[in-house]
Amino acid sequence: MLDTLLPILLFSALALAAIGAVRRVRLWRQGRPSSVPVIKGLMQVPRRYLVDLHHVVERDKYISHTHVATAGGFVLAALLAIVVHGFGLDSAILAWVLLAATTSMFIGSLLVAKRRSPPPSRLSKGPWMRLPKSLMAFSIGMFIVTLPTAGILPEGVFQEGLGWIAALVLAAVIVWGLGEMFFGMTWGGPMKHAFAGALHLAFHRRPERFSNRAGGEHRSTGLKPLALDDDRTKLGVEVPADFTWNQLLGFDACVQCGRCEAVCPAFAAGQPLNPKKLIQDMVVGMAGGTDAHYAGSPYPGKPVGEHAGTPHGPIVNRAGGALVDAETLWSCTTCRACVEECPMMIEHVDAIVDMRRFLTLEHGNTPNKGAEVLDNLIATDNPGGFDPDSRLHWAADLNLPLMADKREAEVLLWLGDGVFDMRNQRTLRAFISVLRAANVDFAVLGTEERDSGDVARRLGDEATFQSLAKRNIKTLAQYRFSRIVTCDPHSFHVLKNEYGDLGTPETPANYHVQHHSTYINELVVAGKLTFKAWKGGSVTYHDPCYLGRYNGEYEAPRDVLRALGIEVKEMARSGYRSRCCGGGGGAPITDIPGKQRIPDMRMEDVRETGADLVAVGCPQCTAMLEGVVEPRADIKDIAELVADALIIKTPDDKATQSKPAPAAPRTVLEATP
Amino acid sequence: MAFEALFKPIQIGSQTIRNRVVSTAHAEVHATDGGMTTERYVKYYEEKAKGGCGLCICGGSSVVSIDSPQGWWSSVNLSTDRIIPHFQNLADAVHKHGGKIMIQITHMGRRSRWDGYDWSTLVSPSGIREPVHRSTCKTIEVEEIHRIIYDFTQAARRAKEGGLDGVELSAVHQHLIDQFWSPRVNKRTDEWGGSFENRMRFGMEVLKAVRAEVGDDFVVGMRITGDEFHPDGLTHEDMKKIAAYYDATGMVDYFGVVGSGCDTHNTLANVIPNMSFPPEPFLHLAAGIKEVVNVPVIHAQNIKDPNQAQRILEGGYVDLVGMTRAQIADPHLIAKIKMGQIDQIKQCVGANYCIDRQYQGLDVLCIQNAATSREYMGLPHIIEKSEGPKRKVVVVGGGPAGMEAARVCAERGHDVTLFEANDQIGGQITIASKAPQRDQIAGITRWYQLELNRLEVDQRLGTKADEATIQDLRPDVVILATGGQPFLTQVPEWGYDADTDKSLVVSTWDILNGTVAPGKNVLIFDTICEFSGVSAADYLADKGSKVEIVTDDIKPGAAVGGTTFPTYYRSLYEKEVIMTSDLALHKVYREGDSLVAVLENEYTGALEERVVDQVVVENGVRPDEALYYSLKEQSRNKGQMDIEALYAIKPQPCLTDGGEGFALFRLGDCTAPRNTHAAIYDALRLCKDF
Repeated sequence: MLDTLLPILLFSALALAAIGAVRRVRLWRQGRPSSVPVIKGLMQVPRRYLVDLHHVVERDKYISHTHVATAGGFVLAALLAIVVHGFGLDSAILAWVLLAATTSMFIGSLLVAKRRSPPPSRLSKGPWMRLPKSLMAFSIGMFIVTLPTAGILPEGVFQEGLGWIAALVLAAVIVWGLGEMFFGMTWGGPMKHAFAGALHLAFHRRPERFSNRAGGEHRSTGLKPLALDDDRTKLGVEVPADFTWNQLLGFDACVQCGRCEAVCPAFAAGQPLNPKKLIQDMVVGMAGGTDAHYAGSPYPGKPVGEHAGTPHGPIVNRAGGALVDAETLWSCTTCRACVEECPMMIEHVDAIVDMRRFLTLEHGNTPNKGAEVLDNLIATDNPGGFDPDSRLHWAADLNLPLMADKREAEVLLWLGDGVFDMRNQRTLRAFISVLRAANVDFAVLGTEERDSGDVARRLGDEATFQSLAKRNIKTLAQYRFSRIVTCDPHSFHVLKNEYGDLGTPETPANYHVQHHSTYINELVVAGKLTFKAWKGGSVTYHDPCYLGRYNGEYEAPRDVLRALGIEVKEMARSGYRSRCCGGGGGAPITDIPGKQRIPDMRMEDVRETGADLVAVGCPQCTAMLEGVVEPRADIKDIAELVADALIIKTPDDKATQSKPAPAAPRTVLEATP
Repeated sequence: MAFEALFKPIQIGSQTIRNRVVSTAHAEVHATDGGMTTERYVKYYEEKAKGGCGLCICGGSSVVSIDSPQGWWSSVNLSTDRIIPHFQNLADAVHKHGGKIMIQITHMGRRSRWDGYDWSTLVSPSGIREPVHRSTCKTIEVEEIHRIIYDFTQAARRAKEGGLDGVELSAVHQHLIDQFWSPRVNKRTDEWGGSFENRMRFGMEVLKAVRAEVGDDFVVGMRITGDEFHPDGLTHEDMKKIAAYYDATGMVDYFGVVGSGCDTHNTLANVIPNMSFPPEPFLHLAAGIKEVVNVPVIHAQNIKDPNQAQRILEGGYVDLVGMTRAQIADPHLIAKIKMGQIDQIKQCVGANYCIDRQYQGLDVLCIQNAATSREYMGLPHIIEKSEGPKRKVVVVGGGPAGMEAARVCAERGHDVTLFEANDQIGGQITIASKAPQRDQIAGITRWYQLELNRLEVDQRLGTKADEATIQDLRPDVVILATGGQPFLTQVPEWGYDADTDKSLVVSTWDILNGTVAPGKNVLIFDTICEFSGVSAADYLADKGSKVEIVTDDIKPGAAVGGTTFPTYYRSLYEKEVIMTSDLALHKVYREGDSLVAVLENEYTGALEERVVDQVVVENGVRPDEALYYSLKEQSRNKGQMDIEALYAIKPQPCLTDGGEGFALFRLGDCTAPRNTHAAIYDALRLCKDF
């Protein structure tokens, strides 16, 4: 009976899966068009899966091994089951391999079950709780039915006497297994992740994220520009169908592992954001329905079951109650921790900014100080609304060389909007004293510099971003310099990764941009700086999101600290897992309340190291961390630490003059004030 | 950004000034050896520049000619080329920190003394005597006028060659230029007096000659009065006319405006307003000048607080604020604003210790900041943490000496416990602040309180320390700053008794603290003649008492400085307090419900009596030595301070020499009654190396 039944079951499941796949693809195709190389993309899947995705999964060795055993076992078992049981190929060797595959899958399923007993809070429950059992059903069922083929049990063992009953039971088990694994894969069960995930890898909207044989950097973190001049298209994403089809596909790939939730600073702070839930809400919206079936952690403070959406219904309602509430979107610091952790390579930040774009550009609905900051940027080219001519007021005594005078310089020092902030002015002064100590040929744009556009863009105001960027690009095009160096990771990121899209043939915008820690490290390596011995206490280092995760620079700041004689006491969350300070993405401006403040949590991370001082490399981080009430560690920018340690050689150190009057004033200016 | 207006650079002539804060010209009394700027002078200004000051105008009343005597106030001498290399040191020290430095140059005319140094014959437009310095002078001749104009040009040249950024022509405080301006002093009938143009001529010739000498790339400013406040002097309207007249030449790069003339004791007190004045009392005069000129206007006078400065600048009243005493109290004022440490700014309280010393020809010092103008000795404004052992320091007494000792030791990183018997720190400052118009002196305590809290000093208030409590803390260092008590037992005939009901006399402390109710008819006998006696008189009169203040010295309040006794006198005369000199308190006895004070004339020995219901005696402080002697023998240094080390600002040897027990030191009035500055200075120089 099984000989007859198995092919029927298998092919029926496959047929149903195919129907489901078509339906699922239709859901995705509701999205806006996005052209991708289909064949090339599909060809890339194995490498993207085995190299890039595995690289992320492997950070959790347990689940990595589990997944290899389970998924590897399943893929092999499924193929062989079709061959052996579907087409009835009576090969003992294949049967033995099939047995091995199902054994592997079974062991994997035990590990999956173990991980879920009980499940950590980040994992979704619901259908996911039955998945280990389904995996077992499939693997055990397939194992047993294959035993006669392998010659371990006699042929026909399931056809006589009690065998019939066993066969019925077995058939039921296999139906369960096939139902979950084949049917469920395309009809919305947990196994959907395998189907959507594979296609997501093939048609990912950021193919440049993936490695290739040529090597080189494979990082893609810049936001994609929005076409502003198309009157027919609405700006940003209002309804789920406004996402591109491959974004929708990406959402569908979510495996609800909750790694994003575990690293999200807003979620930890009790703000109404959970990246996993957000992605699931997009899936709900795409298919239509409510979030009542969602079985993971909710948005803090927002019970599940009160939100619903449709593919063409608005995601955000002013009154709430649509798919997500606006405050969820405005809670994000764009720190990219979720994207960095996502084993399915989903682009949460892109999605959030897409939705913010609609709220800001089409509705002018940027909360709290958001509208004011954007108005300031439009009117004054800086977020604080300061007189644009006052950009260099803080440096009146530094005689900074201006690009307008020099026309060319080795280093164009991009000052950033920190020029308006007294705290950051100290960092800038420190860095300038470092540049001068190393005799670097540098110049600044002075009042020609404008805000980089970072905040405007993260707040969804693409128009203001592009306006600022284009004008900055035009200014930069007038001058010759071999690199741009900045103390601000946000300017750094935007100049390096986001201006390029806005360049023109006449004014290309591909610059060699460096963060000051990288540049200082180069100066150190080149022997251009000498330091006094470090006398301070213990030091930890906080990785700025826009330097670390966005741009992969983790080592240069640490190298500089080592060169100062500092042994960095690392925080539990450092490097690519660094916890955001709370200052990115305009989050301090939109200021969505939570249960605690993100910088407080970060300073708690610092406290755990016992460090007396936390070295930073970002004006936002400095401001956020210094805003934490004392007692706490001191906060110093790397430039300040370097400037404090400098041994400055001056011309009059060499010769003692007989006259009481040295000829020329030394050009060395203190870092403070 | 807060303080935007304060940190907005400004162009003065050829120079860009990095912010709006100026240290205006004042006599430092530091230039020695014939008026050459010393290392002390350079370090004093370097500290201001390091602390962020935008523009230093140094050398108040620096002289251009040898008949404007330099020696009385050790002012800078620009009458010789010898000054040029000294200026180069000064300019370099300020420039390397991003500051700008200019110097005030002047000929003081009659406003000086002739009875010393070169025994100069002073000159003035009409030979009229100057009362403040009791100086007589000759009527200047035209040849001398031309010589002095030339001297101005050479002085300006020397400043420029020395690398300074500009000169300020002083036409204020009744120097020679404004002596020509003022019809009160200028009675000439030749081309140098009479009409407006004639009175303006000398200043104009100086300006033209100086500008011709230095060219356009060097700042030439003028400091003028906004109103002389004399009925026969220059009024505000006169000054507007004068300012506009000079401004129209286009040769003046800025005007500094001072409210009030200053050739009498009473007007002098306006020029450097003490704590009895409201904030920026004469800003309106500077604003009036700003209305009529086209160049930046600087104004000082009671601008002490960054928020106040910001408000004035935002209001557009003037372009730059002089925060001169503010930076004497804390040369790191600007740096602290920028560091977000506004609460750590030591704010000037207007005690005028600085200027009152200057008028006595003594070096300018700050009552509450002993490091100011002692930078060259190595006394720090910012105290570094010690790299040596962490010590347990016990300080007993929270007056000026104790507060400073506790602060400095805590900044050094030591574990400090401060005992104070009262329920608040401050010591005698707290008492002093009870008098009318003297409340701001409590600002000294306010700063210490903030600092001691910030530095987490264990403050045991309302706790009297004894030998046992001190020993319990196992201290490495014990500092006693227990002060003393009013010294009323010196003359038994005064009838003092510790029991207030029996005592015939009370102290000024009793009065100011309110522990004794004011009498109706009060006699104050004040032999000390500093602030406490006149403060008590003012306090009592304020409460409605009829008061006579008597002293055996030359006048009541004789030891109160030149810018402060006038404000006391204004208040005391207004309240009809009788001020009597040359009488000593011989005896007090009771007669019925009244007290009879027997007073003895200092010069004739004649006795006279006053029938009153309260006798207040100010006879200074008797040190409280009991605790010291109970601890002295147990200490490793027997309580002795190595004064050679102390005066040389070096560490006390007993700290490193080893030995049994704690090191014991006494500071402030519990050793001998001196003053606030002495207490703070000793505490700083003793503790800075702990």
